[in-house]
Amino acid sequence: MSLQYLKEAVAVGDTEKLIRYVRLHLGDGNEAAGRKEIDKAWVEALKLLLDVPETDREFILKTLAERDAATLAHLFFHLHFYLVQRSGEWIHDGTL
Amino acid sequence: MTAHSDETKQLRPGLWETVNERYPGSMITKDDFVPLAPLRKPLSESRLTFVSSAGVQPKGTMPFDVVHPVGDYSFRRVPSTSNPSDLEIHQIKYPTHGAVNDLNVIFPIERWQELAAESVIGGLTPNFFSFIGYNMDPERLERTLAEDIAEAVVADGADVALLAPA
Repeated sequence: MSLQYLKEAVAVGDTEKLIRYVRLHLGDGNEAAGRKEIDKAWVEALKLLLDVPETDREFILKTLAERDAATLAHLFFHLHFYLVQRSGEWIHDGTL
Repeated sequence: MTAHSDETKQLRPGLWETVNERYPGSMITKDDFVPLAPLRKPLSESRLTFVSSAGVQPKGTMPFDVVHPVGDYSFRRVPSTSNPSDLEIHQIKYPTHGAVNDLNVIFPIERWQELAAESVIGGLTPNFFSFIGYNMDPERLERTLAEDIAEAVVADGADVALLAPA
């Protein structure tokens, strides 16, 4: 999907196209795989917090308060791949 | 991604349809092709450069942004004298297993060095050039990345440029 295609979808509020694109991106061109990848990242994030470890909330709140939204959105994509990689099930070797 | 209006020039018939199904709206039609430049002197006297979308870069340089949903429009200079062990790949959209074992399968830098040493080609530009092919804005790709690389290739004194998709 081209950037123009995505911007047109934003302009008309066609979130289905946007969601499909995100799944394709995260699933390396495979929408079903992308959906699983999103779930995998959330499961991994949840697993890391189940024992309620001490976390650096000061860092989190400071980052959220001080960084611009685009940087945080970019971080969100980084975190997705970080968590997927941590899960040990890495599909992003280009073989899909 | 760019579609050629002349279907007979497709290397893989049906490729564009497949791409368009996976990535709707990614296709654009271009009619203003730049003709291939003829070789002005023998290859054995020509300085060669290599331009690749393999996402190869010197270790320690800023990794290509492989997670960005719209792509990365920067390129890296790869010194043509590099040893493969000086380089790494940042790319998640093509199989990299083989390239990690032997970079030459995707970025044949040692082969170019050998061909230059054997005078099969006249020499190598000081740098080769690499970027990642995952870019969702074809116009920006052409306007910035392609132009930037073209300028860098000219500045490096290339007589021949070999372009290789990953």
